[in-house]
Amino acid sequence: MGLKGNAAIVGAAQYRPEKYTTAPRMFHLEQVADLAAQALADAGLKATDIDGLVINGPQFHEASVFVPAMAAEYLGLSVNFAEVVDLGGCTSVGMVWRAAAAIELGLCQAVLCVLPARMAPFGPDEDPSWMARAMRFGGHSTAFGAPEAEFDLPYGHMGQNTGYAMIAQRYAAQYGYDPLAMAKIAVDQRTNALANPDAMFFGKPLTADEVLASKMVADPLHVLEIVMPVAGGAAVIVASPEVAAKARNRGARITGFGEHLAFKSPTYAADMTRTPIGPAAARAFAMAGLKPADMDAAQIYDCYTITVLLTLEDAGFAPKGEGMRWVREHDLTWRGDFPMNTHGGQLSFGQSGSAGGMSQVIEAFTQIAGKAGDRQLKRCDTVFVSGTGGVMSEQGALILQGA
Amino acid sequence: MSTNKPMPVPTEISAPFWDGLKAGRLNLQRCNSCGHWIFFPRRHCDKCWSHDVEWREVAGTGTLYTYTLTRIPTLPDFADEMPQKMAVVELDEGVRINTTLVGLDEDEIRVGMRVKPVFDKVKPDGTTLLRFTGLDKTVAPRRFDDPEAAAAPEEAAVPLRQIPVGDEAALQALVSDEFTSWSNQIVVDQALIDEFARLSGDDYWIHTDPEKARKQGPFGGTIAHGALVQVLQSRLKIPLGFEVIGFSNMVNYGSDRLRFPSPVPAGARIHARARVKRVEKVRSGTQLTLEVNIHVVGAERPSVINDLVILYM
Repeated sequence: MGLKGNAAIVGAAQYRPEKYTTAPRMFHLEQVADLAAQALADAGLKATDIDGLVINGPQFHEASVFVPAMAAEYLGLSVNFAEVVDLGGCTSVGMVWRAAAAIELGLCQAVLCVLPARMAPFGPDEDPSWMARAMRFGGHSTAFGAPEAEFDLPYGHMGQNTGYAMIAQRYAAQYGYDPLAMAKIAVDQRTNALANPDAMFFGKPLTADEVLASKMVADPLHVLEIVMPVAGGAAVIVASPEVAAKARNRGARITGFGEHLAFKSPTYAADMTRTPIGPAAARAFAMAGLKPADMDAAQIYDCYTITVLLTLEDAGFAPKGEGMRWVREHDLTWRGDFPMNTHGGQLSFGQSGSAGGMSQVIEAFTQIAGKAGDRQLKRCDTVFVSGTGGVMSEQGALILQGA
Repeated sequence: MSTNKPMPVPTEISAPFWDGLKAGRLNLQRCNSCGHWIFFPRRHCDKCWSHDVEWREVAGTGTLYTYTLTRIPTLPDFADEMPQKMAVVELDEGVRINTTLVGLDEDEIRVGMRVKPVFDKVKPDGTTLLRFTGLDKTVAPRRFDDPEAAAAPEEAAVPLRQIPVGDEAALQALVSDEFTSWSNQIVVDQALIDEFARLSGDDYWIHTDPEKARKQGPFGGTIAHGALVQVLQSRLKIPLGFEVIGFSNMVNYGSDRLRFPSPVPAGARIHARARVKRVEKVRSGTQLTLEVNIHVVGAERPSVINDLVILYM
């Protein structure tokens, strides 16, 4: 069961993370075309090679329905496979395996996976307050009949911070908590960002003391343990062996994947501290015939430090309940014994909406392709990638292997 | 409490739950096929998918599964609850509920502690939210008759130190980065906002049309005019601790800086504090700049920053 590992990521592009206030405003369709052209140029392929399209549905500016058709029409693309993925921060991982599966099924040869995440220009009649209104409840539905509108929002349960904070507090009560180990995750990732000129926090060193002295947002999470939202956008090209042979990069074959979700609010999880990445990663490793120790690097979705800790444990890198000790004992930098989030992670690279998770996919590909510059790992053939949406709601895993 | 907080809108499916809360009872659904307790309300059992589910009243006691204390409100409208005691309670029937804790100090809260329900009537129309507290606690119901009475009691008056306007050294010594303690609190309700709209002519819908503001506004409801909150300073007694004496005339010379960094939702409680920012001799007398900050109670960001210039002649 699963993938044979024929399909590979052969090209990628992403906008440098920028503050929303200074980033260029572009229509999402315009971003899609721009990112697609950049990813094709990176791969050394032609537009006519593309015959599959995976795109975000939610938060697409110019349409809320029929997004793939509108995007294909705008691009001038004729496809045999079109898909919308709606998995929050797990969208990127979800896009890549769907593209790989479509290629292995023989539906198509090369798939463009694209996530525009810069703001669009305001129209003359558009009320800019829609932004503030859209932000007010974040990813929560206020629709009549939506369970969260009825049972969460009236109590102030909204946004991501308090959900992740409550998971961390539950973890602390069950297994203990070491704030310094959590700070070390942010600090090691910052060390990686110092070797990545594209990172938002490039050139800005960080110490554990600074993390722990930063503002408490919701106990026990400090502001420097939480991602900064930025404008961005990303695209990757997933291709069949025939198309990959024409590409100029060393491809990253998708040899394993898994996906799991069961709830929107982690309050309804069977056990809040056993996250969906457990079954997702187990399936990915089994499909690839590999184990956590076989990985040369891990690109772990990091909206919060606690997300990283629980992923390290539940994906099988660290024993359950001992993640904090494990983090203290390993060097997570690109020079270290467990290279993790070598681009800085989203904590130091910046989180461009649902495209943020693509930064982890692209970093895995970039390392495998040997194009990571100053932070290039000496040996990087096999990489674990995770994606996390909502409040540990939907999670996915990829195993990528150099062609 | 702010009138802009999101409120539950019961559905045909959930009505027995909300009606129960109004009557001080906790009703939960139980599956007749498999015995599973269900939360939140549904037409079916989320374990065996049977549609044979039945409402039952339960005691409401449970255990605190986890919690967090917020240091930044999850929405500005919750600033009056700071720190919000966000919690997940596991009822003895096994279901978990997103809620908040009341009547407990921060250091009394422990994961695993036993809790009991508090039927918190949050609106005069009877809308009741399910909160929780410690087994040994008693939480008094809210009062809706007099919003001013619900406000915090006024601080005991700080004795005033009298400083002659000619004592330049003593006046300079007042300059400080430290703010005073808080003033009394007042409620900025829709009636007050409407009155100000009439007075000033600024009747923009974001201030005066609660229905439209709720549906289309960026803040989920109406907000007070910045200028209204600014002038309400007169009703806020800031414990400055000194008074300047010995001058022949004192004038409000205006403002060096006036900012409205965050909104005051209709129904919010506000209070103020201040510091002496600058004291300087000018041609016409002595000029004292008082930085007044007005906040929604519990909010870290001020709603008004006013560098008020007072000229003593």
